[in-house]
Amino acid sequence: MVALVISLALFFDFTNGFHDTANAMATPIATGAIKPKTAVALAAVLNLVGAYLSTEVAKTVSGGIIKEGSDGIQITPEIIFAGLMGAILWNMITWLKGLPSSSSHALFGGLIGAAIAGIGIHSINFESLIQKVILPAIFAPIIAGGVAYLCTKLAYALTSRHDPESGSKLTQKRGGFRTGQIFTSSLVALAHGTNDAQKTMGIITLVLISAGLQQPGSGPQLWVITTCALAIAIGTYSGGWRIIRTMGSGLTDVKPAQGFAAESSTASAILASSHLGFALSTTQVASGSVIGSGIGRRGTTVQWGTAGKIALGWLFTLPAAGIVGALTALLVKTGVVGVIIAAVAGTAAVTYMFLHSKKSRVGHHNAVEVEEAGQAVQFRKKKKAAAASRAKDEATSGVEHEPVVSGVEHEPVVSGVKDEQKDGPS
Amino acid sequence: MKWLELVQVAGATLIAAVTVVVLYSLGVRLTAIAGDVSGRKPVWVRPLAIVCFALCGLAVMFGLYLIIPYFSK
Repeated sequence: MVALVISLALFFDFTNGFHDTANAMATPIATGAIKPKTAVALAAVLNLVGAYLSTEVAKTVSGGIIKEGSDGIQITPEIIFAGLMGAILWNMITWLKGLPSSSSHALFGGLIGAAIAGIGIHSINFESLIQKVILPAIFAPIIAGGVAYLCTKLAYALTSRHDPESGSKLTQKRGGFRTGQIFTSSLVALAHGTNDAQKTMGIITLVLISAGLQQPGSGPQLWVITTCALAIAIGTYSGGWRIIRTMGSGLTDVKPAQGFAAESSTASAILASSHLGFALSTTQVASGSVIGSGIGRRGTTVQWGTAGKIALGWLFTLPAAGIVGALTALLVKTGVVGVIIAAVAGTAAVTYMFLHSKKSRVGHHNAVEVEEAGQAVQFRKKKKAAAASRAKDEATSGVEHEPVVSGVEHEPVVSGVKDEQKDGPS
Repeated sequence: MKWLELVQVAGATLIAAVTVVVLYSLGVRLTAIAGDVSGRKPVWVRPLAIVCFALCGLAVMFGLYLIIPYFSK
């Protein structure tokens, strides 16, 4: 049972990785700072490194939400199994929909649901739940968004250039931000490692403790850290292109200076809270930053419809994952047969969703998609280039070498760039 | 109390992000001035731009130094 739960936890870590690649890499890919594949590889490596850096969050997860140990309720590996099931399924569903929902909340939701159904409502440490999950969930995106707004304003104010005599606009030359994005997005990936990989470590540690294989209250062991780091890195490398699309173009049209500001804010927020052991949602912080930077630049429209859809996804994450977790817990309670049924059903559901995603990936090439792409044409093109190169393996010819001249970024450029891109690969 | 920690996170985020963004923006601005084809420009513009970028990098390194337990212990 313990082995089963650990492998399930690692699979969750994997889904976490590809679900959250977007957080770090959506904006640099959108602005053309890094090629999609390079970006994803970079993110994977940095996630790996980040996972080793700080294990504060793992301690929060393993010691916080559900009362464990001798004084609390004995949590069993079965409950954790059920919770993970809920988390993974919800992660897969939101990935299919391209929603940047929080993997962390899916995890907590699943666990809480499973614990309530399997043990009872008294097993939940509500105080800890509110302080360590609910409050950060509300404030982290607001903080990150506010800071990103301010930073975007600053970045634009500091780099706006006018002719001192005529007052007309000079060439802005903000191309430097594109290079800077490589660094800031790397930091976000690193931060993601320090926060999200930790959650799985916490879970595995919780399993080991509950099975009596580890001292209650101790931190994660080295092999746990290593396997979790690897799982999240592999997950990141496999890339969640769907969510990258939503984050990179769905919310607002991202320019390098904005991306730079947003990523700085995201990385700072996550690193700061990782340091204090807040298990906050990387996804929500990153979304908050992207929106904040969108408001910060004049003439940018934030697509509040998409933002609302994402917010709705956030609201549903805890309860939805909780319900799946609870159902699984009830099933698991019936005994070994229940566990097997749950495992088989879960695997089947994941496989089905994976196959389903394959089906609609082909659909990305159709004409409707291109029309819908609207203003964010540049990004769609890149994404399709990536998809095409994966499919055919030789589409690298013209598409990857996108002419990303730094001059492209001037304010009144919009129409010209778009026309150039519309006759791209189709 | 968690509120205090929340404020800490907010403050740290603000300071870190603003430092990085301001330094980098200044660097970008100065590089842009240094790269201008026409007009007079002082000699120190490009070195100063590099200094800005370097300070920005240092700020990031310092932040990481603070966070990684291996160093701060």
